[in-house]
Amino acid sequence: MASRHSTAEPADLATLLARVGLGDRAAFGTLYRATSAHLFGVVLRINPDRGQAEDVLQEIYVNVWRSAGGFDAARAQPMTWLTSIARNGAIDSLRRAKARVRTVSTHLVSEEEGDEADLAEQVPSDEAGPLELLQRAAERRDVAHCVGQLSAEQQQCVALAYYQGLSHSEVADHLAQPLGTVKSWLRRALLALKDCLARAAAQAGGR
Amino acid sequence: MDYGRRVLADRLAAEYVLGTLRGPARRRFEALLAAHPVLRDAVAQWQQRLQPLAAGIEPVEPPPRAWQRIESSLFPSAPEPASEPWWRRLGVWRVFSGLATAAVVALLVVGQQTQPPQAPIVVVLGANPEVAQQVQARFVASLSADGRALVLRPIDAPPLTAQQALELWAVPPTGAPRSLGLVKADAATTLLHTQLLKDTAAFAVSVEPAGGSPTGAPTGPIVSLGKLQI
Repeated sequence: MASRHSTAEPADLATLLARVGLGDRAAFGTLYRATSAHLFGVVLRINPDRGQAEDVLQEIYVNVWRSAGGFDAARAQPMTWLTSIARNGAIDSLRRAKARVRTVSTHLVSEEEGDEADLAEQVPSDEAGPLELLQRAAERRDVAHCVGQLSAEQQQCVALAYYQGLSHSEVADHLAQPLGTVKSWLRRALLALKDCLARAAAQAGGR
Repeated sequence: MDYGRRVLADRLAAEYVLGTLRGPARRRFEALLAAHPVLRDAVAQWQQRLQPLAAGIEPVEPPPRAWQRIESSLFPSAPEPASEPWWRRLGVWRVFSGLATAAVVALLVVGQQTQPPQAPIVVVLGANPEVAQQVQARFVASLSADGRALVLRPIDAPPLTAQQALELWAVPPTGAPRSLGLVKADAATTLLHTQLLKDTAAFAVSVEPAGGSPTGAPTGPIVSLGKLQI
């Protein structure tokens, strides 16, 4: 496994997936080298247990090998398709890990509330917290404006759910807010994102 | 779907993709996805919307053993010289293919010697389980016993764009599939061929660009397949 990092163009990945769909093992190896570090990063955010994350990674690529024949480049971007498989696998692994005692990384909460021991165990200190990740994602022009329009609470909820795979009730516990409040923040945040992205796409298309 | 249900479908799709839809509700939603194109479209749109959020996540190099485990779980035997193509992965007829070939040969020999009237051979092509979540395509192929004529009738044809066509393949027990030509999605197609049964273990239908596969091998998803049982 030599050259790394997902610098592959979407068109290259689509070609690779098509070849994987036909059972091309060399293409499968190339696809793995181009995408596994990214997907492993996604999985580790949601399930920080390295052993479990490796199991999930294995499931992801077995799944990719078996279902690549059904990948339709006209319907989905390759990286979107792969990331969705990875996030689903990671979220499902949380359900299986019954004995999980999982306190959440606490970059979002006030410092004094943070549980440093748990934090250190899970997230290396130089790693970005979920909200920072969201802000980093928002550096992309197409989403910056839309993420920026969300309230601080909405941003926290979206970041915790997306990056760490927290459920509604886990987000509520984490933010010490009633479940109903968190559900409605998230619901409104998703609707606001959808509307804003649709407007942005319409404007881009109209230009 | 009325407005209220459409709104609910979109909300559930959003929560599914974000990940907050959990437990039995997540399982129920996944079961519904298989049967509801509207839900699948909503999920695909949400995946596309939220994908930019993944951009900021730092890549983490998995250890080399991760790849070794993937390889050994998918390809347990000694590494094959060439890549293992899809038609061998299908596996369902691997056990039968030798038998089927033997039976076909026997049939041909008997047919040539005694020339009794032979009943046509019917092959049901079911939806390919690997893509059944996206496409449910089913066909019935009726072959003359001498293997010279085939009529393919669609039962459930997949939706096609103007740039797509369906191509029928004869899949041998080993080696690459042979194209039998393009077939119609909305009506029966009759194919005349000298040797439809020779060295054929199964038939498969793939979605190809209009005009057929540019490479001579299936390039699009295999949507339907059926084993030849004689």
